[in-house]
Amino acid sequence: MINNIKTYFTKSVHLAPLAIFRMAFGILMLLSTLRFIAKGWVYTMYIKPKLFFPYYGFEWIKPLEGNLMYVVFGILAIAALCIALGLFYRASAILFFLVFTYVELIDKTNYLNHYYFISIMSFLLIFLPAHRYFSLDVYRKKELFATNAPNYFILLIKFQVFIVYFFAGLAKVNSDWLLHAQPLKIWLPAHSEMPIIGSLLTQQWVAFVFSWFGCIYDLVIPFLLFSPRFIKPAYVLVIIFHLATSLFFNIGMFPYIMITLTAIFFTENFHIQLINKIESLFKRSKKTEPMIYYNPSPLTVKLFYSLFFIHFTLQILIPFRYLFYDGNLYWTEQGYRFSWRVMLMEKAGTAFFYVREKNTGKEIEVSNSDYLTPMQEKMMATQPDMLVNYAHFLKDEFQKKGIVNPEVVSESYVTLNGKASCLMVDKKTDLSKEEDSFKTKKWIIPFNNN
Amino acid sequence: MKKITLIIIALLFIGILTDCKKKKKSEEEDPEISFDKSGMLSNYSNNVIAPNFTVAKTALDSFALAYADFIQTKTVANLLVARQKFNRAYNQYQLMSLFEFGPSETEIVRANFDTYPTDSVQIKSNISTGTYNLSQVNNIPAKGFPAIDYLLYGHNISDASVLTLFDTDANAANRNGYVNSCLGEMQTKLNSIISAWNASYKNTFNASTGSEIGSSLGLLINQLNYEIDLIKNGKIGIPLGKKTLGVALPEKCEAYYAKTISVSLAKTCLSNIENVYLGRSINGADGLGLDDYLEALKVQHNSGTLNDAIKNQFSIVKVKLALVNEPLSVSVTNDIATVDAAYVELVKLLVLLKTDMPSALGIVITYQDGDGD
Repeated sequence: MINNIKTYFTKSVHLAPLAIFRMAFGILMLLSTLRFIAKGWVYTMYIKPKLFFPYYGFEWIKPLEGNLMYVVFGILAIAALCIALGLFYRASAILFFLVFTYVELIDKTNYLNHYYFISIMSFLLIFLPAHRYFSLDVYRKKELFATNAPNYFILLIKFQVFIVYFFAGLAKVNSDWLLHAQPLKIWLPAHSEMPIIGSLLTQQWVAFVFSWFGCIYDLVIPFLLFSPRFIKPAYVLVIIFHLATSLFFNIGMFPYIMITLTAIFFTENFHIQLINKIESLFKRSKKTEPMIYYNPSPLTVKLFYSLFFIHFTLQILIPFRYLFYDGNLYWTEQGYRFSWRVMLMEKAGTAFFYVREKNTGKEIEVSNSDYLTPMQEKMMATQPDMLVNYAHFLKDEFQKKGIVNPEVVSESYVTLNGKASCLMVDKKTDLSKEEDSFKTKKWIIPFNNN
Repeated sequence: MKKITLIIIALLFIGILTDCKKKKKSEEEDPEISFDKSGMLSNYSNNVIAPNFTVAKTALDSFALAYADFIQTKTVANLLVARQKFNRAYNQYQLMSLFEFGPSETEIVRANFDTYPTDSVQIKSNISTGTYNLSQVNNIPAKGFPAIDYLLYGHNISDASVLTLFDTDANAANRNGYVNSCLGEMQTKLNSIISAWNASYKNTFNASTGSEIGSSLGLLINQLNYEIDLIKNGKIGIPLGKKTLGVALPEKCEAYYAKTISVSLAKTCLSNIENVYLGRSINGADGLGLDDYLEALKVQHNSGTLNDAIKNQFSIVKVKLALVNEPLSVSVTNDIATVDAAYVELVKLLVLLKTDMPSALGIVITYQDGDGD
């Protein structure tokens, strides 16, 4: 058994799948970055805001001044292009990972699971010999060239994709999703105007079918992808599933990224033929290649296995950290992020903030729009850690305006999966005295689940 | 491999089984939802939005005539008629300010028509120099209804003194010219809005039946929320001192100089918001609206329906607002509790309309574009 596993990990596999993956990832990241700039989001998300919501422990991460943020995105675009071309590959992968992660850490308003996915993928890419085949680096330095490498390199990517799907499926195993078809019961009827399927979307049973299909799909698809027998029908499902999500939800590039990157599960022959086709596009006739095996040094192998072990242990544990917290996970969102909880809830809120002069008890109702972008205000209203961040900002701001000993209190009315809105925090808590931390936020008013 | 296949089959089986059970149950309890979204949009454009613009225009034009009469024959009696028509026009403007999307957004209606408190220093300086460009940003707080309010009523001066300012004062001609410029700008803007709506925007509006950012429903609900926020803050909260440690700011009331219409402007604004919610025209004809949409989706709110909760809250706010006396600028200092009670209920209404309703409808109302996941 152990020998079998060892053989599975170390058997020689062709590098074509990794080369295709590298190119696909690079091109998709280039397009995503250009799309992000073209949509004006560099300005609305990183230049315009007056304050940013940092992640706990990363408060020291700040955006660059003004238009320099465009330079940051320019670097991302160039690094993505270099990854696609396989030019200065390792340096480009490191650069892309660092810069992309830096951008994501600036403001948790913009947190998306798919950005987290990209951070992780670009991190893993750093350690892969994806540039040793069909790349400009090989053209530049012939000695890099290899056709084969141990299987564990590709497995790194495949396991990560496995985890994304499987945990997304696991997160759907809950009563709201399976027994009440929430939030799809809300989201699908909103598209009743769609041609042909529109009238179906308003029917309750359709929301149930979608919910169950989505859950089973996420749980099963990663197993199917690993099986050579089922890969083709599985991939058809992947395409259908992600195109459906892109039709119904405003999720940008993510469906296309998943569809493209999941192709890594196809056989090496599929990828070799794909590369041959690309070469013939450039009118290059294919020379017969000798089989050259990239054999990493024992130290590299050791380091790689350690990385493999630590990374996947964390990946498996992090989504379960919510178990350490009291209260309803969707309500408190303690341990919610970084867990592949995708499209799980319809949550919205309105937060009123008041700055209170301690000595007189008199209050100022804050105009949130004076300080926050619409997106920040929307995200802040439903996420307790952001309420605390904002309260600290307001305390400083109003102290500067001459309020002595300001207390910052809030009333945030939040609705979750169709339940009547109720208070997440009331005016009894001085939020500016609370600290953002990994501890349970005791001031959150428990979710009344009835 | 076989094991995995077995697991998959088992999972699918359980899934389908449970699903069939659910299906039966839900079909009995919740028959198919059918709602005519595009019918709702055309009700809005034909019976609510377009007529409201026309009503606002009629009132504004009628004020223009009365004002011209007053300039023709400068008597206190004519001044009073002009003021009365002005009050009416300001009131009917409340019926159109909500719809700031499409052509109305192009004309930046709220900022151009109703930025208050008005800047009397800037107005006086414009009048005395006689050279000004109202489309410049620095003149935004020196034009529109609030500027005319200031000029037609004056600050704590008698009717006779106002008459003098338009009649024998050194700047009388310039003052008259200034009122006409403010009035003319609003008329021009309103005319172009109405023609743009009729020419093409109505079709654009009716055709955009989706629920995404920038869809007609998204725009309408977003502006509805903006409007109720305006009542809560601009019309009531700010004068009441909600942003200033409880220190009332009477001079920040809408129509501060007219003194008698601030509360009624807020009431008209609220009733327009209610009409929009109900899909009801100003004549009272109740067509398809957000209330019907919520009913069709059977949206619950605690033990009742969300629609009932919202309608109920509208009536509560109306009752509380009816208790507030004119002038509002006096009530915010002399009758704080009454004004505050109306404010508190407005906040509750705002939460229902801004949080519960869009969430239940799956409507994206944030102006700012971005991806979700």
